[in-house]
Amino acid sequence: MSNSPIIAENLVRHFGDVHAVKGINLDIKAGEVFGFLGPNGAGKSTAVRMLTTLLRPTSGTARVAGYDVVAQADQVRRNIGVALQDAAIDPLMTGAELLALQAVLYGIPAAAVKKRSGELLERVGLTAAASRRVSTYSGGMRRRLDLALSLIHQPTVLFLDEPTTGLDPMSRLTLWEEVRRLNHEGTTVMLTTQYLEEVDQLADRIAIIDHGKIVREGKPAELKASVGAPTLIINTHIDQAEKAKAVLSTFGDLRPGAEGALGVGLRGGASQVTEVVRKLDEAGVHVQHLEINEPSLDDVFAEATGHRLEGADNAPSAGDNGDDEPKKKKRRGRK
Amino acid sequence: MSTSAKTILSTRDVHSTTMRSSWQLVKRGLINTRRLPSAFIPTLAMPIFNMLSFSGTFFALTKLPGFPTDRSVNWFMPLGLAMGAAFSGVGLGFSLIRDLENGFYDRLRMSPTSRASLIIGPILATWIRVTLVTLVVFGAGTLLGARPTAGVMSYVCSWIAAIGISTIGAGWGLGLAYRFKDMRGAAIMQMSIFLTMFLSTAQVPLNVMTGWLHTVARINPITNIFRLSRSGWVNASDPGYMSWSNSFGGLIAIVALSILTLIFALRSLQKIDK
Amino acid sequence: MTSTATLVNDVSAQRSSSAAIRQTLALAKRSTLELFRQPALVVPSIVFPLFFSFLGNSSFGKTTSLPGFPKVNSYLQFQLAGTITQGVLFGSVTGAAALATDIENGFFDRLLASPTSRLSILFGRLAGSVLFGALETAVFVLVLLPFGADVSAGVPGIIAMIISGALIALAVGALMSSVALKTGSSEAVQGTFPLLFILLFFSSAFFPRETMSGVYKTVAGLNPISHLVEGLRALSLEGFSVSATARAILVPMAIAIVALYIASRQLHARLRAN
Repeated sequence: MSNSPIIAENLVRHFGDVHAVKGINLDIKAGEVFGFLGPNGAGKSTAVRMLTTLLRPTSGTARVAGYDVVAQADQVRRNIGVALQDAAIDPLMTGAELLALQAVLYGIPAAAVKKRSGELLERVGLTAAASRRVSTYSGGMRRRLDLALSLIHQPTVLFLDEPTTGLDPMSRLTLWEEVRRLNHEGTTVMLTTQYLEEVDQLADRIAIIDHGKIVREGKPAELKASVGAPTLIINTHIDQAEKAKAVLSTFGDLRPGAEGALGVGLRGGASQVTEVVRKLDEAGVHVQHLEINEPSLDDVFAEATGHRLEGADNAPSAGDNGDDEPKKKKRRGRK
Repeated sequence: MSTSAKTILSTRDVHSTTMRSSWQLVKRGLINTRRLPSAFIPTLAMPIFNMLSFSGTFFALTKLPGFPTDRSVNWFMPLGLAMGAAFSGVGLGFSLIRDLENGFYDRLRMSPTSRASLIIGPILATWIRVTLVTLVVFGAGTLLGARPTAGVMSYVCSWIAAIGISTIGAGWGLGLAYRFKDMRGAAIMQMSIFLTMFLSTAQVPLNVMTGWLHTVARINPITNIFRLSRSGWVNASDPGYMSWSNSFGGLIAIVALSILTLIFALRSLQKIDK
Repeated sequence: MTSTATLVNDVSAQRSSSAAIRQTLALAKRSTLELFRQPALVVPSIVFPLFFSFLGNSSFGKTTSLPGFPKVNSYLQFQLAGTITQGVLFGSVTGAAALATDIENGFFDRLLASPTSRLSILFGRLAGSVLFGALETAVFVLVLLPFGADVSAGVPGIIAMIISGALIALAVGALMSSVALKTGSSEAVQGTFPLLFILLFFSSAFFPRETMSGVYKTVAGLNPISHLVEGLRALSLEGFSVSATARAILVPMAIAIVALYIASRQLHARLRAN
């Protein structure tokens, strides 16, 4: 058996009729930063909740840190750290109190709790805010506290579920720095995100998940190369879109563009641009805007799923939680 | 790294970890009570209001032949206490629902601590809160004219009954919260527990009841708990009233119902990942 | 252009009383439908009062022979008026909370932006509560009648009770709407719920004032809820008479007029603030 820290075999999860995860396989190697990329509702969070013992799989198996997530849930819990989506933290407690609680829950000896908490607070830059209630923390501070909480027992495997959603660019950079440092120290990281840039920056290997299935997997560079041709994107008047498509399709496969734009993978490379423009002109298509893109992870994503991740309105609001578990309808009861 | 994690967590520590975890969760419960008084004040005000209004409105009950006391506060203070205790108990279910809804509970569930400590800790915190409520109600009751018939034991019996009711309510509330995971659970826990309570000797003694209620209240185990709670507040003329035979039924009801509801809570927690 | 102009002309022509009535009716229809499409809000305000009246009948059945108690067939007959008041009181909070929700989610502003008559907005909202109050009264009377809650005043008495129930709903609904208009928060409206509860329990809704002791008797005498209940009670206990009917209808009507005045003042205050 492989001794990879995260292995999933044909992992499936249904919520009633909703098939959130439809059989995924993962083999994440020790010391890797693995990016798990997909839009809202793709099944990312459900998969992560199964790997972190929060949710029982409908079928299939998973081993994390060498233990089965169902039969040996307790062993798994001892070895993993999880920073949750939204950084769910009791707002009435202070940072130091939460760390103390977390330390005891993970069985850290009483004598070591203070020292360990101090180190972690220092590490994430929250020493000064330690005795303030979490409700006074900024979004970035909450994420950093969340990270500190997940590190209290020095886990070998770290799950980061959308760690930078809703953060400002500065806070995002700080968090990325910390993830790199942890990985450098030997921690295996599984990073769930819907930001292409995040996986581009951090991940050694990625998997793209869409509608509950992994549709691409590999190193970012390899995946980009696999898409090959650069993408030419044009904007034109909606009335001329069909005419334009006919012209573009003679140069390569059409690719979905962002809102209202048309895209084509230029079979003959970027040098064909002038010819494309001439042909469009001859066909009477008025081009309003034109750009050429080298392949990106977004192209990989578009090629694999038929839709784009960026430009789609998937920036979650601050209160957005739980990706794909169908929320039960809430009724307002009167007391 | 994996070795250091292992050293930190040898399994022989498991028992001490359960106790430490529970205690840490007690602390969290009390911290939250102190920092969010708006959630605790109703628990304190409700039993006092209940005692005050019932003993005034239903004052005439004491004039009925066979009513066991001529002080209506003596009769209704244990009811107020029971209401406050039940409220504190199911209140634990409410705060669990908040934790479940905002995701904090995921963090607790992901920790390797024993599942029992996730239940024991918050219940111990509830006991502390109930004791506080009990003391305040005793104080208010005394001001309104409640007088014990068996000295300190009168207070002790009422306190035990309150702790018991809060435990039963907490087990029931936690179990329902784990199952429903949202506020629908809160409505059910509140309704079911208060209906069960009122279908007992909550308002009047058995010998005053007529019809169907008499039948229901006689078999309702809550009636035994009320007998225990009131044993030091009624039948002042009978010095032997506060006795083992008038208390053990209540104690058995408390222990049995607590075990049942706590098992329900624990099993629901174990099934929460389904 | 022409069509717009005609439309505007029509609208200004509609600013007549007939238009206001049509608008009120349309809004009344909406508020009524809205109420009945939320059984989770409506059912408890019917079921709970019924439960407590049956509970009371079995608990306090023997008290009807006590001195100070009026001559009745059963406690249920005495309790009927209290049950109606209790149900209508709680039902009316729901309607006012809905008004606050309208303010919270912007529907109220949309109405204000339309040429709808300002008072239609208030009356349309209250109409749902009034209808529900009448319905609750009818349900309580019809359900409890076979169990011994006779209405001595007969069919004319029942009709008078239904009118009275509707007026109580109007009065309470208008008062609660003032809170909704003042605060614009449905939580604040729901927050007044315990206040109503307290008023109810310090009134003669459950026991006659004559049986109460000292301070309670005075408080219950000053409590407007007592007078609402006692008007209704006169119809069920004393038989149909001008004085009983007048009490049952005039008391809630007087309170309703005052409450409507307050509510319309709050409405205008909110309009000015906008």
